[in-house]
Amino acid sequence: MNIYIVDDDESVCRALKTLLMTYDFEVKTFNSAQSFFDTVTDDDPGCLLLDIHMPGLDGWETQKKIMDSGSKRSVIFISAEKQDNGLERALKLGAMGFLQKPVNGQTLVDLINVTAKINN
Amino acid sequence: MNKKINKPQQEISLQKLQEKVHHLTDELSAIKQQLQQGVEREKVGADVERQGAVREKLGADREKQGADREKIAEEEIHIRTKAMESTFDGIFIIDAKKPNFPIVYANTSFYNLTGYSKKEVIGQNYFLLYGLNKNSHIYEEIKRALSEGRSFHGEMLNFKKNGEKFWSLLRITLVRDKNGTVTHYVGNKTDTTLMKQRNLEIEEQREELLHVTRVGKLAEFVSSLAHEISQPLTAILSYAQAAQRMLKDREPKLQEILQYIVNDDQRAAEVIKRMRYLLKKSKPTLEALNFNIIITDTVALILPQITAKGKAVKYELDANLPLIYGDRIQLQQVVLNLISNSLEAMEDNKDSHDLIIRTSRKDSDTILVQVKDSGSGILPEHMNKLFTHFFTSKPDGLGMGLSISRSIVEAHGGHLDAVNNPDRGATFYFTLPVDKKKD
Repeated sequence: MNIYIVDDDESVCRALKTLLMTYDFEVKTFNSAQSFFDTVTDDDPGCLLLDIHMPGLDGWETQKKIMDSGSKRSVIFISAEKQDNGLERALKLGAMGFLQKPVNGQTLVDLINVTAKINN
Repeated sequence: MNKKINKPQQEISLQKLQEKVHHLTDELSAIKQQLQQGVEREKVGADVERQGAVREKLGADREKQGADREKIAEEEIHIRTKAMESTFDGIFIIDAKKPNFPIVYANTSFYNLTGYSKKEVIGQNYFLLYGLNKNSHIYEEIKRALSEGRSFHGEMLNFKKNGEKFWSLLRITLVRDKNGTVTHYVGNKTDTTLMKQRNLEIEEQREELLHVTRVGKLAEFVSSLAHEISQPLTAILSYAQAAQRMLKDREPKLQEILQYIVNDDQRAAEVIKRMRYLLKKSKPTLEALNFNIIITDTVALILPQITAKGKAVKYELDANLPLIYGDRIQLQQVVLNLISNSLEAMEDNKDSHDLIIRTSRKDSDTILVQVKDSGSGILPEHMNKLFTHFFTSKPDGLGMGLSISRSIVEAHGGHLDAVNNPDRGATFYFTLPVDKKKD
């Protein structure tokens, strides 16, 4: 299964990638939403792990753009900032979940698997 | 008939006539002289009389002048007394020649200002009058100024007879006689309570504003700090967990190390969570609260930690504690914080066992909460910085608990402070205003 990570923090991208690869996921990382849109098309399958606080398009705007384009992409928000009602807001925007950084590996993987099941 | 007179007869007659004329002339002179004398005598008499009259008139004038002068003086005294009596300032005069410096005069405003009656003031020594509530520092200053022949000018806190506080501006000037000897002291006391209150209010508003800015800035700072730290924590945790999975069932020593990394990462994350919780900008819910219940509820939350550390909480709670008005969660946070601090201070001391939590009514308007530990106490050089943001004496402390606790207590209209106990350990205490509506 493909996992896309969009996070402006290089180290976070690399670490999450390293971790998820131990679960046998195919992981691609991007430092901005724009570079993700430039590379990955709506037809490419896979779950997107989306940071919120980023220069350029932030996480919320990125999710809105994905939804507006009619894409069925599964999105899980991962935020370093405390977001009041973060989960509620994420679900309302059509995302699959919301996790607070630092995120526990197993929790993240469980959520990814649930997401995959729902989509299938 | 004249024709019939003979010549010799005529000669005799003429002589006699001449003699007679002489005689008459002499007599006339005498009379004239007498008359003159009489007139003069009369004149002198009249003069004397006139002089007497003048003297009399002068006397009357003088008397009149005296009376006038007296009248004017009386009027002046009247006006001056009236002026002294009608002024809002309390004025008093002290006799400087008598050994005990008695007050010999005080105006109505002085009695109104101090609450003492004329009977209690006149003859009394000014300092004795304030003896019960005297601020020795100021009174020593006054005494020194007067004994050195200087006037005094100063603002001070005074107490009325009924104990009510008032601020006053006191000026004492010296009255000297023509030899330069000080005969009296004149005191002028102005009630500056209202002015002072206004100033205090302004000061409070300024403080409040500063506080809001400080807390706002702190929240902003903590939020960005939390974000910046969460990123590397995410990476560290992910790397460690990745490594754990890669080494699954191998390298138990490395596995152990990785687990420590994971644990410490989570501990750091917990610190951030706590920090965020402390600064959560939720709108406070204000309600009437029994602080004893807040304390017992809070202790229940951390009782497992307390017992695990081998310590015990001793309650000394005032059963008749009046209700206060505030946010339960925030106040619990303060109590929790003080208890945690005390536990940590007692941690290294095996023989310090009891943590005493005491509530009492400080006065009609205030309750007092004390958390007394038997720990290591506060170093004197730390005392001043204790409530400053990010000051900590603990290796893993945030330096935020006490500053936030103080913010919370102050936002509730109280005051939080600390003092070292005479024997050992420290006591953290705070006041909170009584809820007047429920009391």
